[in-house]
Amino acid sequence: MLNKIFYFFIHRFGLDVAADKILFRKVAKTSWYQGDGATMVTLLAVQLLTGAVLTLSYSNSIDTAYQSIEFITYHKTMGWFIRGLHYWSAGLFVVMLVFHLLRHLLIAGYKTPREGTWWTGVGLFFLVIIMSYSGYVLRWDERAVYAVKILLNILSNIPYLGDELILFVQGGSEINSHTLTRFFSVHVILVPGIMLLLVGYHLFLVIHQGTTSKIERRIPVETKEEHAEIYEAAKESSSEGEEFFPTTMASSGIMSFVVLLFGIILTLTLGPAELYPEANLTETSFPQEEWWFWWYSALIAILPPKSVPYFVVWFPIALFFFLISLPLLDRGPKRDMSQRPLWVIFVSLSVMGLIGLSALRMRSPWTGWPSQKLPPFPKEFVVTPGLEKGREVFVQYGCNSCHAVAGIGPSVGPDITNFERLLTREDIIKVILHPSPKIAMPSYQGRMTDEELKYVSEFVFVLQIQPRRK
Amino acid sequence: MCEESSLSRRKVMKWVVLGIGAATTGVLGVPAVLSTFSPTIKHDDKKRWRPLGAKERFAEGKVISAKVETRLDKDFMHMTLPKDVYVWNKGQDEFVVYSRSCTDLGCPVKFDSGSECFFCPCHGGIFSKEGDVMNGPPKGPLHRYSYRLIDGYLEIDLSSVPVVA
Repeated sequence: MLNKIFYFFIHRFGLDVAADKILFRKVAKTSWYQGDGATMVTLLAVQLLTGAVLTLSYSNSIDTAYQSIEFITYHKTMGWFIRGLHYWSAGLFVVMLVFHLLRHLLIAGYKTPREGTWWTGVGLFFLVIIMSYSGYVLRWDERAVYAVKILLNILSNIPYLGDELILFVQGGSEINSHTLTRFFSVHVILVPGIMLLLVGYHLFLVIHQGTTSKIERRIPVETKEEHAEIYEAAKESSSEGEEFFPTTMASSGIMSFVVLLFGIILTLTLGPAELYPEANLTETSFPQEEWWFWWYSALIAILPPKSVPYFVVWFPIALFFFLISLPLLDRGPKRDMSQRPLWVIFVSLSVMGLIGLSALRMRSPWTGWPSQKLPPFPKEFVVTPGLEKGREVFVQYGCNSCHAVAGIGPSVGPDITNFERLLTREDIIKVILHPSPKIAMPSYQGRMTDEELKYVSEFVFVLQIQPRRK
Repeated sequence: MCEESSLSRRKVMKWVVLGIGAATTGVLGVPAVLSTFSPTIKHDDKKRWRPLGAKERFAEGKVISAKVETRLDKDFMHMTLPKDVYVWNKGQDEFVVYSRSCTDLGCPVKFDSGSECFFCPCHGGIFSKEGDVMNGPPKGPLHRYSYRLIDGYLEIDLSSVPVVA
């Protein structure tokens, strides 16, 4: 009797058909790292769940948004956990996305017959980037408001449409209440809606076309007919095929589980993203992008200045067209990494580039910043009252905004203990009064008194030689 | 004969279905698109003069920050964020009012009264007291607002710099 009721519902909801087509289908074997797709589905589910819970308390008005985030973080039961997990699984999502993309470049996941799968994936790639940007605007802290400003400045470089796009994104000619509402709408309704449709379609194609299997990486397959023949044979064979449920799901589930666990551990140890002071355009601020954009920020800093306005506009566009046209440009049967040395090099360089640039951004050696803090004298240094005075002048005139002393401080200008060559007192005074127009140093002609000049040049002169003697 | 007429019947039906579909899309789509792009279509190009304070507030020779209200005319529903600008009193009623937006990507520059330079916190932009680029990727000098003195009060025109500043 119970059995009958059970099968009644199974049949009326079409679950038997769905289970046959999705769970109990045979697939050709793949490698362990192809669990990255399942991992992203898991993370997406986490995002939807935590995001939905966040909307229950979030306020998208600029005078209450920040307070609502504070409420969620500090007062709401388990709010810190929900917000933390939303943040960390978003970051891991971006990491997994890059992994997924690079991995498909290595094993040519875009080749026949999976072009459609790839193209829907490219669409999703850019939607995730939009999500990972619009998400932290909703915090409406200083980092958020300058994220908006930076986006607007990038848009301003677009020929002809720049100003219109700024008005469009900003919702008026100043950053205003509509700005946050628009980002809210994009992050919570528009993009997730499109993303869900596209993820569904992407997964339909994954089921329909299969994923790049071990066998087609060994046996050259060029046309969709050849592919169908080999794939069909492989999935039914005992050595090359397996059942999606439970075999494939178990193996791809491992990665999902590990990554999700990592996200939970990050949430429990580091907690939700730091909240900076409430969004404002009046305080001194030292904004930074979220860590998944560090590499891009570093690129902007180190590229030739003249190319930056073009780079910020054309790089995303070029990336889009490159990814879209890839299945049309790179054809042929070679799918295995061993047959694709150029791609292995390209992907390795990309990974090294992403990590190296991110590390560079963490140090940001290009940034100078005013500070009232006196730089410490090197250890075992005999400090005379004259040097003490020189150090005060050094700070009073903002020399320490650009120059480090024995490794402590910004590195825009050279560390004064580490000049290319030793300078005499006269050299130092000359540079201070008449710096070369080629370097980013202001002239202190007419600003420093002779006495101040004497003290500061003595300070620089003594410090530049002192550590070298040791 | 009969076949032919059913064919043309189908043809007509096809066009009717497509037509009604297109009309529905249009009726819903056109207002949706216009409403979406309304900030671009309808915005104020008029000058927006806002006070910065009495001119005595700005000591001669110094670069001093000042807060300016950015509220838009009429739009009472638009809450805006006030912003800070830098005012340099050059003497004899001559002023320079800088936007704090770095001309690279809009990060807020900070004036260092020690070196008399503006520092950008993001990608190494440094500007001189005159607002010229000394270092880093900024593509031009700091934006300057138009200003006027009315009864000893300094006012700036918010619309005199690019929207992005």
